Amino acid sequence: MRLGGDSMLVGMKNALKLIGISIIACCAVLVCTMFLNFYFDVRLIESEITSELSMVFYNAQVSTAKVVCFVSGGCLLLTSVVMLLFYIKHYIDTHKKELGILKALGYSNLKIAKSFWVFGISTFIGTAIGYAGAFLIMPWLYALQNKDKMLPEITINFHPSILFYFVVLPTVCFSALSVFYAWYKLKKPVLLLLKDNLQTASKAPKQRIEKNRKLSFVEELKSNTLKSKKVLVFFTIFASFCFSAMTQMSFSMKDLSSEMMGVMILVIGLVLAFTTLFLAITTVINGNTKTIAMMRVFGYSQKECCRAILGGYRPMSYIGFVIGTVYQYGLLRLMVDIVFKDFEGVPAYEFDFPVMVISLVVFIAIYEILMYVYSEKIKKISIKEIMIE
Amino acid sequence: MIKVRNIIKSYGIGESRFHVLKDISLDIEDNDFVVILGASGSGKSTFLNVISGLERPDSGKVFYNGKDITAISDNELTSFRKENVGFIFQQYYLLPNMSVDKNVKMGADLADNKDYKTVIEAVGLGEKLHKYPCELSGGEQQRVSIARALAKRPKVLFLDEPTGALDEQTGRQVLNYISKLQKEYDFTIVMVTHNLNIAEMANTIIKMNSGKISEISTNQTKKTAYEIGW
Repeated sequence: MRLGGDSMLVGMKNALKLIGISIIACCAVLVCTMFLNFYFDVRLIESEITSELSMVFYNAQVSTAKVVCFVSGGCLLLTSVVMLLFYIKHYIDTHKKELGILKALGYSNLKIAKSFWVFGISTFIGTAIGYAGAFLIMPWLYALQNKDKMLPEITINFHPSILFYFVVLPTVCFSALSVFYAWYKLKKPVLLLLKDNLQTASKAPKQRIEKNRKLSFVEELKSNTLKSKKVLVFFTIFASFCFSAMTQMSFSMKDLSSEMMGVMILVIGLVLAFTTLFLAITTVINGNTKTIAMMRVFGYSQKECCRAILGGYRPMSYIGFVIGTVYQYGLLRLMVDIVFKDFEGVPAYEFDFPVMVISLVVFIAIYEILMYVYSEKIKKISIKEIMIE
Repeated sequence: MIKVRNIIKSYGIGESRFHVLKDISLDIEDNDFVVILGASGSGKSTFLNVISGLERPDSGKVFYNGKDITAISDNELTSFRKENVGFIFQQYYLLPNMSVDKNVKMGADLADNKDYKTVIEAVGLGEKLHKYPCELSGGEQQRVSIARALAKRPKVLFLDEPTGALDEQTGRQVLNYISKLQKEYDFTIVMVTHNLNIAEMANTIIKMNSGKISEISTNQTKKTAYEIGW
C-alpha cells in the first residue's frame, strides 16, 4: 500500500498476488471460449446439414457445447467471485491499521476503495491468457468434435462478442466489484480498524451454552480454526472436489470422447485443485502465525500445532472428494442418457470403481505430502513472531 | 536453581553487528522474586528470552537444576518450556476467538491440570469464564494471561513488562495477583521492567546497562503492590 499524489493506492504487486483468481479465470475462459466459439461456428453450418443422422450428431454437439460452457463457466465464475471477495476481505483485515490511519487522516471510504480497482487486473491477465490459449487449442477441438466427418467443414471464426463477454466484461465487473466490496468493508468505524482486539459487541463470537463435552485445547482450537474461516473450508472442499471430479472424469472421457480431451480435463482439474488448496492452506497458516508461535512458546510440539491448525481440514477434503465423485458420475450420466440419448455408437457408461479407488489413493498421498510440506513451514515459524508487533 | 554463565548475544552481521548481552553470569534461587531493571535497549528483554529458552545465546550456558538448556535440541527445548516455564507478555497475546476458559485451558492442558478453573477464580475472573478477549478490559486480559501461565503449573514464571500497557490502578491490581499467587503456588518469578518502583516488591533486584549487569541487590523491606510508588 502506498500514497501516490493525494490518493491512496493499492499497489500493483497486491493485484499480482491474486494469481489464484488469474488461474481460475484462465481455465474458465479457456474452456468457455473454445466451446462457445465452437457453438457459434457449428450453428453457422446448420443449413448445410442434409441427413437425419448428421442432424442428431449436430444437436448433440450443440448441446455438449452449451452444457460444458454453462457448467464449467458457471462453476469457475462463482469460485473466482468468492476468491476475489475473500482476498479483498483478507487484504483489508491484514492492512486494517494502515487503512484506519488513512481514514483517520480524512480520506473518504470511496477514495480509499477506488484504488482497489487494480484487483481487476488479475482477472484481465487470466482471461486474456485463457482467451488466447483457447484460439491455440481450437483447431484441435474442432477436428476432434468432427473427427468422423459427419458434419460439413467447420471453420474457426472470430466472434467479437466472446472477446467482450469473456475478457472485457469480467475485467470491468471484477474491478467494479472490488471497489464496491472494499467500500462496503471500509464502512467500519476508524477505531475498529486501528485496534487489533477491538470488536463491536455484535461481532464478538456468540456465547454458547457449554455442552458437556470435554475437548482438549488442541481439539477446541481445531474446531475454532474451522469455524472462524468458513470460506477456507469451502476452498478446501472445492479443491478436493476438482481433483476428484476431474481425475475420474478424465478417465471416462478417454472412452467417451478422446484421450486428449481426458488429458485436458485432468490438467485443468489438477491446476484448479492445487491453486485453491495452496491458497486455502497458506491463508490458514499465515492467519494463525501468532497462535502457532504462542503455542510453541508454551511448549506445544510441532505435531500438536499442525493438528490444531490444519487437522480440521482433512475431513473436509474427503467430503469434497465424495461430492466430486458423485458430481462427475451425475454429469456424465446426464450427458450419456440425455444429451447423447438419440445418438448411436456412444459407449455404455458405468461408474468406474477401480478409477475411483486409484484417484482416492493418489489424492490421499498428495494431500498428506502437502500437509507434511506445510508442517515443515509451521516448524520454521519463529517464536519471536509474537514479539514483533 | 537457575545458573547463567558467560552469556553473549549479538544481532546483525559485519559492521552493523550489535552486542546485546556481554558476558553475563548470574544465579537465581528457587522461589525467588527477581526483578530485572534497565532502560530501553539495555538488553533486559533479550536476557529474559535467553534464560527462558526462547532464544539461544551466541555463547555461554544456562543451567536449570544442573541441565544445560543451551545444549539441547529444539524439540527438547519445547519439552523443557512445557514442563518448566510460564510466560506473561506486555501485549497479552490471547487467542481472540476463544473464551477466557479456553485461553486458560491452553496452559492447563500442558500440565494435565483439570482443576484450572480455580486459577481463573484466583485472578478474579470466575464470572467471566465465557467472555471473549474483546469483551474484557486491558487489566482483565492481562489477568487471563496470568491465569493461562499459572494453569500450566510452571516452576519459573517469566514476565516481560506485564504492567506496561496498563494504567496505575490496574497495574497494581495485576502485580498484587502475581505476588499473591506466588505465595500460593510456589514458583520463581523473573520480571523485566523499567519501572523502578516495581522493584520494591522483589527479593532480588538486578540492574542492567548496555548489555551488562551493573548491580545486584537484595531487598530487605519488600513492599506490596499497593505500597509502592508508581
